[in-house]
Amino acid sequence: MSDGRVDRTIETDVLVIGGGGGGLRAAVAAHDAGARVLVLSKGIVGKSGLTQTAVTGFQVAFGYADPRDNPEVHYGDTIRGGYGLADPELARIFCDEAIAAVEDIESFGARFDREEDGKLIQRKLDSSQTYPRSIKKGDSLGTPIMQALRREMNKREVPRMHEMLVTKLLKDGDRVCGAIALDFQKGEIVEIHAGAIIMATGGAGELFPVHSNTPDSTGDGYALALNAGADLVDIEFLLMLGHAVLHPATVRGVLFTFQYLLTKGAKPLFNSEGESFLSNYDPEGNDNPARHIYARAVYGEVREGRGSPHGGAFFDPGSVSHETLMDSLPSQTKYLEKFGVDMTQPIEVGAAAHYVCGGIKINTQSQSTVPGLFAVGECSGGPHGAGRIGGNSLTEILVFGKRAGAEAAAFANAGNTGSPSSDEVASEASRVTSYLSRERTGPRPNVIKTHLQKLMNDYVGVVRNDEGLRETITEFERIEREDLPTMSMAEDNRIGNYDWIEALEVTAMIRFARAMAGAALLRTESRGAHYREDYPELDDKNWLQNIVIHHSANQDALAFETRECTPGPEYTASLAEAG
Amino acid sequence: MEKLNITLYRFDPSCDDKPRMQGYDIESDGPLSVLQAIRHVYHKVDGTLSFRNSDCRRGVCGICSMMINGRRQLTCMCLATDGMTVEPPPNRTIVKDLVFETD
Ligand SMILES: Cc1cc2nc3c(=O)[nH]c(=O)nc-3n(C[C@H](O)[C@H](O)[C@H](O)COP(=O)(O)OP(=O)(O)OC[C@H]3O[C@@H](n4cnc5c(N)ncnc54)[C@H](O)[C@@H]3O)c2cc1C
Ligand code: FES
Repeated sequence: MSDGRVDRTIETDVLVIGGGGGGLRAAVAAHDAGARVLVLSKGIVGKSGLTQTAVTGFQVAFGYADPRDNPEVHYGDTIRGGYGLADPELARIFCDEAIAAVEDIESFGARFDREEDGKLIQRKLDSSQTYPRSIKKGDSLGTPIMQALRREMNKREVPRMHEMLVTKLLKDGDRVCGAIALDFQKGEIVEIHAGAIIMATGGAGELFPVHSNTPDSTGDGYALALNAGADLVDIEFLLMLGHAVLHPATVRGVLFTFQYLLTKGAKPLFNSEGESFLSNYDPEGNDNPARHIYARAVYGEVREGRGSPHGGAFFDPGSVSHETLMDSLPSQTKYLEKFGVDMTQPIEVGAAAHYVCGGIKINTQSQSTVPGLFAVGECSGGPHGAGRIGGNSLTEILVFGKRAGAEAAAFANAGNTGSPSSDEVASEASRVTSYLSRERTGPRPNVIKTHLQKLMNDYVGVVRNDEGLRETITEFERIEREDLPTMSMAEDNRIGNYDWIEALEVTAMIRFARAMAGAALLRTESRGAHYREDYPELDDKNWLQNIVIHHSANQDALAFETRECTPGPEYTASLAEAG
Repeated sequence: MEKLNITLYRFDPSCDDKPRMQGYDIESDGPLSVLQAIRHVYHKVDGTLSFRNSDCRRGVCGICSMMINGRRQLTCMCLATDGMTVEPPPNRTIVKDLVFETD
């Protein structure tokens, strides 16, 4: 059964992998640049991924709410929010091009909330923003963005294929030239030839037991790129939030974004002893600290035995009125109430994995270190560094989506097509189909996934240390060596077989998890979204460095390299200010 | 511990003459959404069931819409109840079981 046959072959100029916001923006731009485009997504194109679930706002420095705001100030905030590790060139592009990106998406028909004078409403989300800058649409910002992009895709009749899991990128020499995908509905192996490829595969929340992401966020793109020889950067910076609902299980992981609504002086969280505690964990003693501090604070209370029954803390309903919630967070409030959460009573909230700050290392053309391979959105790395400030992600997918699309089209149109070796194709096709003929004795993929999620939660989550990371990496290596080869599916049916998808996802997840844990082990300091309890201090003397990861010559080993980073005066000034 | 009996639509067009309804007993620590209940069946009771797991879980994408006790609803937005039945929407081409062709 495990033959090296492919069932279909398709050709295109630009292949976009991922049907979320970054993927669709790139597809539209590549089409407009004259390329034949094909969008593949493991979910439904335009109705999968994280973009559609985005809630709060995105940052664009129009300066309507405060005329002192401009792209330069936005840039400073981005560099500071990235704790000096954001790629200055990429951050610059993204702040400079944000206004044009919003004008584009508005010209596609997206509508955002406006003041009575017709100007876009701009809000300040937290202390990471110098001035109010965040644009919103009620509490469901993803919806208008995705609706507009779907409309543009339809208008242009951009070809798309739903429920196609890409399992490997194909190469010709040092550049990419195609991909292999598994068609969930038909159970077929499909080979795609492409002049250029844009990765837009989103994040990796599913590596953790509690997360704010969609379940298809399994980090495939990082593993695909690594396996194709591309560099990853800054992936130790995994943003954990501390304000996700933990109970009941029906809504576990759903973000409850009350922090933007607190009145001055409110103390939103308390522990099992009824004490407020957030200010104890914030260097500046804030009762409503930066969002990554929330997770650390809740974790600290739980560890001291002062946690809530489900491992979190309690949100104090007195800190935001029900009226304000209904007014400002109508969808969240109605959703939670539908599942029986009483919003007038204390609510259990705690840590949830939210965002991978790093990813596939890109240059100003949004191209990875592999020629022809581009990346956009959460799967890419560089613009954010050690922390992503709230609202910068949606801006990023629009700015770099447009760039990636245009650049990939130019690359493909330059006649840079290659052809994959038939050996490489056959060996991937047999790897994928091998699951169909395995003895059904080993663990099902979900069993391995659950084990992986527990390890990530315990050792690679909110708080990390040397011993835990080392043990975890050893265990990941054992899983790759012993469990993955025997992993088996409940049945060997080809059509609509979710175990088959999950088996391939779990294999990618372990690879990415190992890379993330390895980078976290190497970084012996605490910075931004990465916290080491054995090295709790920020160490600029030794660690103004990015960690870059790639495959070493031995295909299974990962090589970690540190590279000097020069963040510029915006970062140094912020340090001087902090004293 | 919650105990539920739920009935799901099963049909494999490649080998079945006609669809059938199959009952499942599930046990969970607390309430589940219908979507979570289906996932629970798949992972804990019957791995031969076909279903879609790529979803927003927030009532945004509409992909999870099915007939729950004969009424079309979003499975991610409804609580699973004892004795409920879940079927694909009418007039859809069935790929297998709860997976049907989308628009
Ligand atoms: C609940 C929530 C709220 C948020 N709120 C905000 C906010 O207010 N402001 C902000 O700036 N950011 C916010 N974010 C972050 C932001 O929404 C995401 O980072 C961003 O939308 C990611 O977009 P993307 O295009 O990179 O990926 P996604 O939109 O996640 O799309 C990924 C796509 O890739 C596909 N895919 C994955 N792997 C494969 C594969 N192997 N083969 C084929 N296809 C594949 C998926 O099916 C999906 O279609 C929020 C995130 C969450 C989870
Ligand atoms: S999963 Fe998206 S609407 Fe239910």
